[in-house]
Amino acid sequence: MKGELKELKFTVNGEAYELKVKPKTLLVDLLRKELKLTGTKQGCLTSACGACTVIIDGKAVKSCSILALQANGHEVTTIEGVADGDKLHPIQEAFIEHGAVECGFCTPGRVMSAKALLDENPTPTREEIREVMQSNLCADEGYVKYIEAVEIAAKKMQGGS
Amino acid sequence: MLLEGKFTLKAPIQRVWEFLLDPNTLLSCIPGAEKIERLDEKTYDCVVKQKVGPISVKFKFKSILTKVDAPNHLEFEGEGEDIGKAGHFVQKSVVDLKETPDGEVEISYKSDVSIVGKLAMFGDRIMRAKAKKVQQELTQAFSQKLRSLV
Amino acid sequence: MIKDFEYFAPKTVEEALSLLSQYKEEAKIIAGGQSLLVVMRQGLLALEYLLDVKGISALDYINYDDGDGLRIGALTTHRAIEKSLIIQRHFKVLSEMERNLATVQTRNWGTIGGNLCHGDPAGDPAPVFIALKAKLKLASLGGERIIDVEEFSKDYLEVALEPDEMLVEIQVPTPPPHTGTAYEKLMVMKGDMGIVGAAVSITLSPGDGVCQDARIALSNAASVPLRAGEAERQLIGKVINDDLLAKAGEVASVEADLTADVHGSAEYRREMVKVFVRRAARRALEEARAE
Repeated sequence: MKGELKELKFTVNGEAYELKVKPKTLLVDLLRKELKLTGTKQGCLTSACGACTVIIDGKAVKSCSILALQANGHEVTTIEGVADGDKLHPIQEAFIEHGAVECGFCTPGRVMSAKALLDENPTPTREEIREVMQSNLCADEGYVKYIEAVEIAAKKMQGGS
Repeated sequence: MLLEGKFTLKAPIQRVWEFLLDPNTLLSCIPGAEKIERLDEKTYDCVVKQKVGPISVKFKFKSILTKVDAPNHLEFEGEGEDIGKAGHFVQKSVVDLKETPDGEVEISYKSDVSIVGKLAMFGDRIMRAKAKKVQQELTQAFSQKLRSLV
Repeated sequence: MIKDFEYFAPKTVEEALSLLSQYKEEAKIIAGGQSLLVVMRQGLLALEYLLDVKGISALDYINYDDGDGLRIGALTTHRAIEKSLIIQRHFKVLSEMERNLATVQTRNWGTIGGNLCHGDPAGDPAPVFIALKAKLKLASLGGERIIDVEEFSKDYLEVALEPDEMLVEIQVPTPPPHTGTAYEKLMVMKGDMGIVGAAVSITLSPGDGVCQDARIALSNAASVPLRAGEAERQLIGKVINDDLLAKAGEVASVEADLTADVHGSAEYRREMVKVFVRRAARRALEEARAE
């Protein structure tokens, strides 16, 4: 039947969920409205801005362009799952210390893009960072600091300063 | 977007003029037309369906003749919307008929169409291309239909 | 605002095909959904049944051998193709094309088969596959058939799939020796949909450097990914020089059926077809000579 609820089993930030969802529900809406994980932002809804970026099975994806049911059986990480309790992730620290936050709306998406990049490639070149970060738009034009912050974060994660 | 073009039909100008204003002609020639009725001397009531791949829209609109100078000049405008609420459009058009020395009628048209709403967001690119295709099909249908009548 | 539909997530090709044979025109397949969901979110698509095939892991593969060439499962992601070492070694042009296809996030989830089946003439993979003489394997419960990529697109967002068929594999033959292939598209920003694009493949005969074979395909230059056959004939049988490359670009720009869009007039886009055919052809030629 149209609109019939379907079962969704997946993990979000390490926690297992079993839910019934309407097939048309987008992942971003499920995260924000059902699970109340409002750190993930909804920007353009046309797959252009990257504010809704989350990580699925280690890869950065746009949660506005994925049906919630497509996350069935997968591991989703949102911005809420990045810090370790009160201890911020090195990427978050670097963003704050380097002043790479303007209004903050696009920041969660950027952190997720950066995390997926650094988890896969701990020592990216500036070009590789730019390639990934270009898909997160910032209305405040704060692009350079974001890129530098990811470089700083990479060093932090390598155990440097 | 501005749509313009010209095509020729081989028939007496008065005949072409009547032909172009006849709701039955319009219904059989406009690609995707489902209903074209003349409500009064100046007003046409229209339903036109258009399809691009899996996407289809059905426009319901009224077209009003604002200037009629038979058999040479015609202006009309219309406003309508997709019944699925995908978009709203406004159009203003001018059509000129001119007899050529070799006994044909040259029809030139200029149509300014604005589409707002989701349809416009979806793709200016594809809509323009679709409009071009519709124009080609329309002029082809006019020539064929007229030939079959002459 | 997406309209309600009934959802199925088949886990095997057989399961997907039997759903397709049951629901036919009323069913629509979604893979990564990176194109389809954009349309659905605008409320432009009303569906009865959505078949989510993203979970069919058997169609996620990249295989290569010198004889058969390359085989890509329809549900392989763009990112997997971009990063594949096999593809970087033997089909560099595919990897390069993928690097400029949308963003990393989109490439991480979107699939090559989904892109082809969406049937957007501005898509990057189709012209590159046409230049590489690739074929597509389509399957239905009745069996399989193979068609050339250039036969696949029919019109804007329309492809040659029967209602009970799905694309399962892309087959790319190993190019003959002394072949070079390149793709160039005009972008405002990296990852943009091309304002126009051109894929060119050139094969030279080893001794005299005469062009034995050429393929030219354009993106976003007609209602389908367009093979520019006349432009190819400008090159075949000749020793290619800059004048011939310019001529090929000119001829391709006439073969194209261009309309104005937000980026520019039809005339501007026509000029750009000339430039990008020439650019891609020059790179293809250099590669063919270097081999």
